[in-house]
This record gives sequence, structure tokens and C-alpha cells, in this order.
Amino acid sequence: MRRAGLRGEISRASEVRVIAILQAIFSGLALGSIYALVALGFNITYNTTKTFNFGQGEFLVAGAFVAVSGLLLFSGKGLTGNLSPEDVTISRYLLAMVLTIVVVGLLGVVLYYAAVRPFVGATSLSWVLSTIGFGIIIQNSALTIWGPSAMVMPSPLGREVIRVGGAGFLPQEVLVLVISILIILCLDWVMRRTKIGKALRAVAQSKNAAVLMGINVSAVIVLAFVVSSSLAGLAGLLIAPITTASVFMGLSLALKAFAAAIVGGLDNPRGCILGGFLLGLLEALIGLWHAELREISVFLMIIIVLVVRPQGLLGQRIVEKV
Amino acid sequence: MFKKSMLARIVAVAAFATLSIGAAQAQDIKIGYNADQSASGVAELGISGRWAFEAAIEDINKKGGILGRKVVGVVRDDLGAPPKSIQNMTELIDSEKVSAVIGPANSGNALAWLHIPQNKKIPVIVPIATGSDITLRYAKEPQNYIFRVSMVDREQVALLVAYAVKASKSQKIAIIGDSTGYGQGGIKDTTEILKLHGVTPVAVEKFGSKDTDMTSQLNKIRDAGADTVIIYGIADGTAQVLRSMEKINYTPVTLGTWGSLSSLFPRMTGTKLSEQLILAASTTEDSNPQAKMLADRVRTHFPTLTTFPCAAQSYDSVMLLAAAMELAGTTDGPKVAEALEKVSGVQGIIKTYDKPFSKTNHEGLSVSDFYLAKWKDGKTVVRYEDEFTRSITAADLKR
Repeated sequence: MRRAGLRGEISRASEVRVIAILQAIFSGLALGSIYALVALGFNITYNTTKTFNFGQGEFLVAGAFVAVSGLLLFSGKGLTGNLSPEDVTISRYLLAMVLTIVVVGLLGVVLYYAAVRPFVGATSLSWVLSTIGFGIIIQNSALTIWGPSAMVMPSPLGREVIRVGGAGFLPQEVLVLVISILIILCLDWVMRRTKIGKALRAVAQSKNAAVLMGINVSAVIVLAFVVSSSLAGLAGLLIAPITTASVFMGLSLALKAFAAAIVGGLDNPRGCILGGFLLGLLEALIGLWHAELREISVFLMIIIVLVVRPQGLLGQRIVEKV
Repeated sequence: MFKKSMLARIVAVAAFATLSIGAAQAQDIKIGYNADQSASGVAELGISGRWAFEAAIEDINKKGGILGRKVVGVVRDDLGAPPKSIQNMTELIDSEKVSAVIGPANSGNALAWLHIPQNKKIPVIVPIATGSDITLRYAKEPQNYIFRVSMVDREQVALLVAYAVKASKSQKIAIIGDSTGYGQGGIKDTTEILKLHGVTPVAVEKFGSKDTDMTSQLNKIRDAGADTVIIYGIADGTAQVLRSMEKINYTPVTLGTWGSLSSLFPRMTGTKLSEQLILAASTTEDSNPQAKMLADRVRTHFPTLTTFPCAAQSYDSVMLLAAAMELAGTTDGPKVAEALEKVSGVQGIIKTYDKPFSKTNHEGLSVSDFYLAKWKDGKTVVRYEDEFTRSITAADLKR
């Protein structure tokens, strides 16, 4: 009798554990998909120009705020009011998504011509500083327009918790995961199966050969920056209902995404995605054990990966021929 | 004859008027305001305080100024950065020649420049920063120039713990705080005060201030059997903790600090969830008509006014300073600081200050001025009362 009670207690405790792990896995996947989106952005421009946007976090911020303002505009509230849950319908959210992709994509064009193109090919690392600088300009412009306060963006799917076997998820977390995976699959398909994708990969392999094959290389490069920036903007729009839109939200997210890209292999899009999900899961599962060890474990993992596989998990090993 | 004397009189009056205008300008009393108004998350508090600071000066000037002299506010933004805050302080005191300073918002910035006003003998009233050490650093000097009208961390905790100990049926109380200096200081204060009540927390958990999912920490707290949880974080962190509680269907008695007075909190949690949190407050917009009026005035400049207590505390700081200058009959720093320790019967927004400061106590507000509050309809914060709040006596407020 007593034993049964004890066993019941143990099975109850292990059930609680399972639910906690389930919960952590899910929130890890949701956050990981955001890292994956931004990491993919790093990969696309790296492959085509061997540069990437160090201000990617600020593009994410821009995406979140453009989306909030778009939603405010669509609900007739001016540019800087407060959104209430009924203002954010699914159709408005989708419209805001289009707006974000267009606006942040255009910012990507400006970034390329102002901060990357002048330095491409030069042996210097000037583009590192110029992209960081461009990011700071965006961040401070956002600060001027929207101010320091965080803005709340309600989720288009409401905030009623979805319960699955004792664990609870926010509808927005499900949305983030679903949209990210769709976009990732879509991009993967474009890269492997379409002419544009082939052009992108050709430029990545050899610019000169691509030119000889009649590919408009500069157009492909601009496209790469547009896609990369839009991905960051999209990540901002997706994460904002979970975190709130804040001028200061970009840096830590972009840093983790960059880490994800390095872990997975900066030159391999699938590697970047893997890195993103891996990082998200690792963070969440370590959090179950000791919350304050999360950041330490993430960056420890990067160091270990870099020592064991310097090119990243799925990266291509560069063999120097003598 | 008549004409001539009339003319002479007019000339004399005109001359006197010009002279007195000139003299008044030269003798304007300058008061500085130094707080973050643009950079960090604390900026909202700094902006609320700034407009209330200006409103107080406007009110004082309407009543004829201080000592018959006009008061001028000199506002500086410290960008939340200690070096800039130090630079502002030096500039306000040395170049602008202010007679006193109101500020800052960040405790770290205060601790970075406290020595400047202390050495230059310029009284400072801190209207926002809550770090317990701020008024204590120079407490042993012959004259401490640092005063405060804000919610001191430890005093808030005293009230929260007094309630927690009464409300918890099992006496199993847990603490969860963010990993910043603010949260960690809070965890330390809370643990110590719980100890005074003979209670050891059953779980102490941390979260990153930007984390969005605290379910793992909360699962541990629930496994430990806690029926009461004290959250130490600012508005967004606290909101995320409540959201995570909802995810795992865990509804203990939940207590939090004044940070959650920010309207960000109910907007993030939604109306229903926001009403689960019991928080400590010094004042709310609905506490009296003057408070409502001040809130409306601040809103004309800062429509998204979030933390009203910062505005009220900043307003009251200026009023106390004005009263001290009147009492001292001068703006001379040492005399004003001495007078601040004597002022009484000063009408403020939060209360009437009867001898708020003394030689040994430089805190204008204490736990007896605080009360528990709750969000209502996601729009206003109202006083919260139940059988436990009513049974809290002065002896319960251990600190």
C-alpha cells in the first residue's frame, strides 16, 4: 500500500519532469527558429560576397518596429500609439509582414550600397565596422522615432495558452515555429531548384565564372542583401509578440544567431538552420537545470565546435592546395 | 510742477522696474535635473520625473518663487551612462551654478557621482533610483547631502514579505529574480527579511532580464511546493514570469515590486493575468485629485506616462527642496541641507511630509508610506486590500 503510494509519487514526479522537458524543448525550438532565420541571413550574404551584416540585430529591431507601426496604421491609430489585442487581426498581421519584408529589404539595398560595396574585395575589414555603424544609425533612428519604451505587439492568434498533455504553449510560439519552418523550406527549395537559386550558388562558387555564364552578378549580390535583411526583419516581426518590440532587443538575438551560424557552418545554409535549432534547444534544456549557466553553455559549445570542427558542423572544409 | 513730478515718478518707477527685472534675472534660483531620458529601459522613469520636475517649478513660480526669486530648472539627460552622468553633475554644479540637484534614475549612476555634490556641498534629492546604499554612503559625515524620496528596495521588500508570510498557508515561499544587479540585490534583501520572520525560502531561482520563458524555473518552484512567490524584476521580466506561470497552470500568491506599475506590464500579460500580481506602490494616480492632475499634466508632454510614482516623487522632491530653501532663508548648500532635516508640513502629492528627514534618516518615504496595489482592467492601479493586508501591523514590517 505504502509502496504503491510511493510509486505513485515517483511516477507523478517523473511525469512533471517529462512535461517540463517537453515545455523546454518547445520553447527552445521556437527561439531556435528565430536564430535560424537570422543565421540564414548571415549565410546568404557570406556565400555571395564573403561579407555579412554585423548590424543584423538592428535590422531585426527595424523589422519589429515597422511591423508595430504598420499594424497601428492599418488600425487607424497613427504611428506611435498602443496596440490593443483586437487591433491585430490575422489579415493585418500578414499585411504588416509584407510591409516589413519590403521596408527592411529596401534597407538592405541601402546597406549594401552605403556600407558594403565600397569595401568588397578589399583586403581590409572595413566592412565590419561600416555594417556595425550602419546598424547603430538604424538603432538611433528608431530611438528617435519610437523612443526608448518597449512597445507591445499582441499576437494575431490571441494569448490563450494551448495545453498539450500538461505543458502549455503560447499561440505565437507555434506561429513562429510554423512560419520559420515554412520560410526555411521555401528558401531551401529556391536555392536548390530555381534559376535564381542556381545563380546565387554560382556567384558563391566563383564570381568570374558566373559573369562568363551571363549571370548579372551585381544584381544577385543586391538580392542576397535584400533576402538577408528581410529575414532579419521577419524575425523581428515574429518574435515581437513574445518579447515586445524594443530598440535594445537586437544585439543579443543577433549575437546568438551569429553563434548559430558559426556552429552550423557559415557557408552552409542547412548548417546555419541546424545551428539555430541546436542553440535554442541547448539554451532551453540547460535552463531546466541551471538558468544562469545558459549563456556560458552556449558560448562554451561554440568554442568546442570551433576546436573540433573549425568549419562548423556542416561547413565545408577548405583544403589549401600547395 | 505737477507734470514734472509725475514724469520724474514715471521715470523712477520705470528705472526701478528695469533694475528689479535685471536683479531678479541675476538671482534666479537654478535647480538641476539629471537622469536618463533616452537610452536605457529606465528612461521612461526619467522622463516621467522630468516633466513632474518642470510642473513643480511652474507651480512654485506661480506662487511667487522661492524667497521671492524665480526658479529655473536645468535639465540634463545622462543617457543611463555613469560617465555622462558624472559629466552632467560637474557641469550643473560648476558651470550652471545650480543650488540643488534632483536625480538620477539609475542607482549605478547615483553611486558613480555621489562624491561630487557631497564635496561641493550641493544638496541632492534622489526621486527614482531605489538602491539601498545611496543615502547611506555619507551618513557618517558631519553633513550628508544626499536625500531621497523614492521606494527604497529594502523597504518595499519589508511590505511584500510581511504580506507573504501572512498569506502563505504552508509557509513555503519562493523567490525568483532577474540576473541584473537589481534582481540580485532584491533576492538578497528578500532572503534576509524572510529570515527575520523565521522563514527560509523553499526555492530561489534566477532568470535573464530578456528571457521569454521561465517555465523551467517555475516548475522547480512548484515542485518545491511553494504557494507564494515573490518576483524581483522590472515590468517586462515580471510579465514574462506571469505568462510562464499561466503556461504551466500555476497560480500561487504572486508578489512583485513597483517596477510593474509600468503600463507595459498589463499590456504584456493581458488584463486577466495582470490582476494576479500584488505589488508594492508609493502612490497611484487614483490616490487623490492632485495626483490625477499631475498625471494629466505630465501626459501632455509624455502621453505614454508609465510609472506615475516617479512623477509624484520627483514633484515632491522639488517641493521639499523649496520648503527647505524658504526655511533656511538662503540657497546656500550647507544651510539648505540642514533645513531639509528640519522641514515639516510640506504638502506633496504622495503625502504631507512632516519631518520626513532627520540627521540620521535621509529617506523621505518608508515602508509605512507604501501599500499593496493591483492592476484593474489593465488600465489603472488601485489599492489592494484583503484580510491579510488589514492584519499587517507595524511589528510585521521587519527590515
